[in-house]
Amino acid sequence: MIALRSELPLKKGDASGRFVVWLVMVLVFMASIAVTTNAYIGALLGHWSQSVTGTLTIQIPVMLDANDPASTAATEKVLDVLHRHPAVENAATVPREKVTELLKPWFGAGETIADLPLPVLIDVRMSASEASAIAAVSNAVQTAAPGAVIDDHRAWLNRVIGLAEGLGAIALTTMALVTGALGLTIVFATRASLAAFAQVIDVLHVVGAKDGYIAGQFARRALLQSLLGGFAGLAIYAPTLGFIAWLASRIEDGILPDVRFPVSLWLTLAVLPLAAGAIAMITANVTVRRALSAKV
Amino acid sequence: MALVRKKTDFVGDTVQLEAVGLRYADGPDIFSDVSFTIPQSSFHFLTGPSGAGKTSLLSLMYLAKRPTRGKLMLFGDDVTDAKRTRLPAIRRRLGVVFQDFRLLEHMTAFDNVALPLRIANVSETVVERNVSELLKWVGLEEQMQARPSVLSGGQQQRIAIARAVVHRPKLILADEPTGNVDDAIAVRLMQLFVELHKLGASVIIATHNEHLVARFPFPRLHLNEGKVTALPPMQASEIGVVAS
Repeated sequence: MIALRSELPLKKGDASGRFVVWLVMVLVFMASIAVTTNAYIGALLGHWSQSVTGTLTIQIPVMLDANDPASTAATEKVLDVLHRHPAVENAATVPREKVTELLKPWFGAGETIADLPLPVLIDVRMSASEASAIAAVSNAVQTAAPGAVIDDHRAWLNRVIGLAEGLGAIALTTMALVTGALGLTIVFATRASLAAFAQVIDVLHVVGAKDGYIAGQFARRALLQSLLGGFAGLAIYAPTLGFIAWLASRIEDGILPDVRFPVSLWLTLAVLPLAAGAIAMITANVTVRRALSAKV
Repeated sequence: MALVRKKTDFVGDTVQLEAVGLRYADGPDIFSDVSFTIPQSSFHFLTGPSGAGKTSLLSLMYLAKRPTRGKLMLFGDDVTDAKRTRLPAIRRRLGVVFQDFRLLEHMTAFDNVALPLRIANVSETVVERNVSELLKWVGLEEQMQARPSVLSGGQQQRIAIARAVVHRPKLILADEPTGNVDDAIAVRLMQLFVELHKLGASVIIATHNEHLVARFPFPRLHLNEGKVTALPPMQASEIGVVAS
């Protein structure tokens, strides 16, 4: 399908050719953002869901004084219940230093935190994570310490999943729009070239060239232009991604988890220009064949 | 200029038109009932006043237009309603010289002439040999690597003719092929057509140059007011007399 020789003066950088290169560059750049966003959200979601599934956080509410015997007693009682419960793998109070550490971004490292009345937090890792097991543990804890607050993170996680799915849908929509825009660009650029080279094409027909031969020349040009534009788009995306990563790295620990991008993301990004090239090549070929089939 | 062909021959006449009519979209008939036969290895002039439809008639024969009525046979094959995919193979057996040359401006004289051979996937060695030989023959040895735009009208015309005959077509259709050259070159170019005719090609030359027609003893097809009349070779005494 790809002719090695070109009778059409397609190599000259005509205006429509440069236009295709620029447009594909922008489109691949946008597609890269969409793909990365999607991968980041997926990774984030995996991280969060893995870290909260099968865990409970129990808050024994506050005491003005951390050594208040009442709260210490409640904590002991709850821990005792938890340790004996069959659905619980282990349970431990979160050390005060860690709670302080978690609050540092909001309150600073000064003495304020030391003086704050903080609830006792108990991290529970469940051996069973079905709703019934969680309910049973909740009941047991409530009985032991009526004021305890039990958070199974479910509601929070569901909202996060909802947000992630929304963002994922936007990424997919972006990909669809980008693909459509690429297709339309190639169709119109190819039609413009067909009109510009109408006489050359007539001559090629008269000397016995097949439609596929002519279409192949347009397809080859569309392929080269789109590969060029695609890799250019990727080339300007790389520093963009690096910049975003740098911005993210400046955020203090604890707010954003450390997410590692899967290898599939890098592969997908590398494939984007090739996919753009393939789409452009096929679109140009079909466009030319359809246009020529209307001729005598 | 030997060229290996898969199909060396065909049965029947080179061209056969039966009651052919042609019209554009909603326009009037260019011609309505044209019938004639071009036998194998024949030579015809296609004459007639300007605007009579000589170019349209030729374009039917090189398959740029389809008859709106009637039947058109080429190389013994009915092409009236032939599928598009069949046309390239048929077109490779004909050579066309356009009145306006239609050379590809971005290519050298050599590449223009090489076009039909390359389209037919002829090996580059054969292309090199045949194209050089032919360009020498038409006196353009020095201009092989020149673009058409820097050449004179006559030189461009010779490139157009070389392109039309380089692949040794079985049917040569030429529209005013000597319109831009002086008489000496016109005769030389005509001799090229005559040579090809002697080698077995059928040749149709559309022209209104009566001097040229009178110089060669070939029959005429005269197109006027939508009708084609077969006439014998023109006599010098007929020059200037409007054919009936």
